[in-house]
Amino acid sequence: MIEAALQLSKSDFKLDACFSVPGRGVTAVFGPSGCGKTTLLRAIAGLEPDTRGSLSVNAEQWLGAQGCRAVEERRVGVVFQNPSLFPHLTVEENLLYGRRRLRKVTKLIETKELIASLEIEKLLLRYPEGLSGGEKQRVALGRALLAEPKLLLMDEPLSALDQSSREKLMLLLESFLQEIDIPVFYVTHSSEEVARLADNLVLLADGAVTDHGSIQDVLGAVDGELSRSDTAFSVIEGQIATKQLPGLISVDCGTGIVFQVPDSTSMSGKRYQPGSGVRLRIRARDVSLCLEQPKQSSILNILPAVIAELAAEPYNGSRVVKLDMAGKQLLSKISEYSVQQLELRAGQSVFAQIKSAALI
Amino acid sequence: MLSQPDIAALLITLKLAATTTLILLLVGTPLAWWLATTRSKVRSAIEAVIALPLVLPPTVLGFYLLLAFSPDGPIGATTAALGLPSMAFSFWGLVLGSAIYSLPFVVQPLQNSFSSLGRMPLEVAATLGAGPLDRFASVVLPLSKMGYLTAAVLGFAHTLGEFGVVLMIGGNIPGETQVLSIAIYDHVEALEYSQAHWLAAGLLLCSFLVLLMIYSANRRFYLMKTA
Repeated sequence: MIEAALQLSKSDFKLDACFSVPGRGVTAVFGPSGCGKTTLLRAIAGLEPDTRGSLSVNAEQWLGAQGCRAVEERRVGVVFQNPSLFPHLTVEENLLYGRRRLRKVTKLIETKELIASLEIEKLLLRYPEGLSGGEKQRVALGRALLAEPKLLLMDEPLSALDQSSREKLMLLLESFLQEIDIPVFYVTHSSEEVARLADNLVLLADGAVTDHGSIQDVLGAVDGELSRSDTAFSVIEGQIATKQLPGLISVDCGTGIVFQVPDSTSMSGKRYQPGSGVRLRIRARDVSLCLEQPKQSSILNILPAVIAELAAEPYNGSRVVKLDMAGKQLLSKISEYSVQQLELRAGQSVFAQIKSAALI
Repeated sequence: MLSQPDIAALLITLKLAATTTLILLLVGTPLAWWLATTRSKVRSAIEAVIALPLVLPPTVLGFYLLLAFSPDGPIGATTAALGLPSMAFSFWGLVLGSAIYSLPFVVQPLQNSFSSLGRMPLEVAATLGAGPLDRFASVVLPLSKMGYLTAAVLGFAHTLGEFGVVLMIGGNIPGETQVLSIAIYDHVEALEYSQAHWLAAGLLLCSFLVLLMIYSANRRFYLMKTA
């Protein structure tokens, strides 16, 4: 478990964050710009000396009654927003900076393997100056991991990159962060990055945690901050189906639910093999409800569902409805007017029309 | 050419400048580091005190040092109590005077260099397990090479050219406290212009070469950084 109750006052900003998340997997810290995500991350790392409260990471007390553990004693890997390689050291020396300072190398992470999987073998003897943004971030990630951290913190590591290197690093992170057995905190304001990477979610607004827990629980909270916001979305996991329709990619989400997504592989450059696991991100505002199955619609995905829960109150004229599709959870945001007209209530069977689903 | 006392003056000057520079780098490093990183309110006051030699006439500084060196002064009383010889009119008195006089020329380049590093490299090093001294040695020092070169050269060159402080506290004892600038003054007073020329031109050339060295090193460093 990672349990935090952190307070920090700055001249123009106050952080008061209490949450607990499992001590493994990727925890996304999500919220709008300026809500204190980076400050929270810095407080966890120990880089904000005025932080008060308590913090324990997998039973190790980093901050609390016994005092504050120094940054260099926490063994926390940090990948900052802007690549921060040491300019006077070669890539190889950068990579080994933390590892050389380990009291005992457990070989949990093999240097050669890591360098190979980050695709930075050819850069080892170069200095950081000539490297591209994507290369620098991969080296920074490698450097943090080779120090065998007990917690890896990433602060919007993709935001300073251009579109193509961002996509490349994202693909790497997706496979990578799931494999390593180190808990990761990943700060982002992009719902796509959350949907692609996160197992747990900590929602932050104005320096306070508004919700935290597993991604399905937080995303599915109909009265939560996230559901009320315009970015409300659901994540559904599935596999690429073996049977495909022309121009479409079919995603089998089990128990008879199959999503059709336009094949845009040529655009994203990704190749999908049948059977490979994928995630779909579906915005709540792209899901509308019908009482009867519509016929001859251009909408690709019309699926039967049961209303599991309605938000207690409408918010800004619309209401969030949580649907259950054979065990998969899907949020829909529809107008309060429609809720009244269709007399929607929990337990009712409906058809969900999904205008678009993004394969991520 | 150079007479015996002139050569002695040259050697004393070089020894004085080298000793002063070394001491200033040792003392200036923690001082500059503190100034570059502290959030203390007294920082501005300390900075002003360090910058004083930039604006004060050297004779003012020399006058107060002379008072301090006197048997009743704080430094004189201390050295007497410890059984040490008086600092006045001695080489080590000159070193102390020069160190105070050249302090801003060493501290300011170091402070600028430390400040320009920003906190990022140090924070990264800390997260990678490097303690405070380790961070300083493995990150701050190598990234502050130019600052150290500038500080050393300015401190050395400034001490070479010192006149007022030395005259006040060191007097003019050939072979002991007579430095180049005072030897030149003596030659001019005695209308020995050709000997004054040798020393003056030598000092001029030497200072120019030293400054040329820093500026070209700075330029190379800058070009390397932007390449």
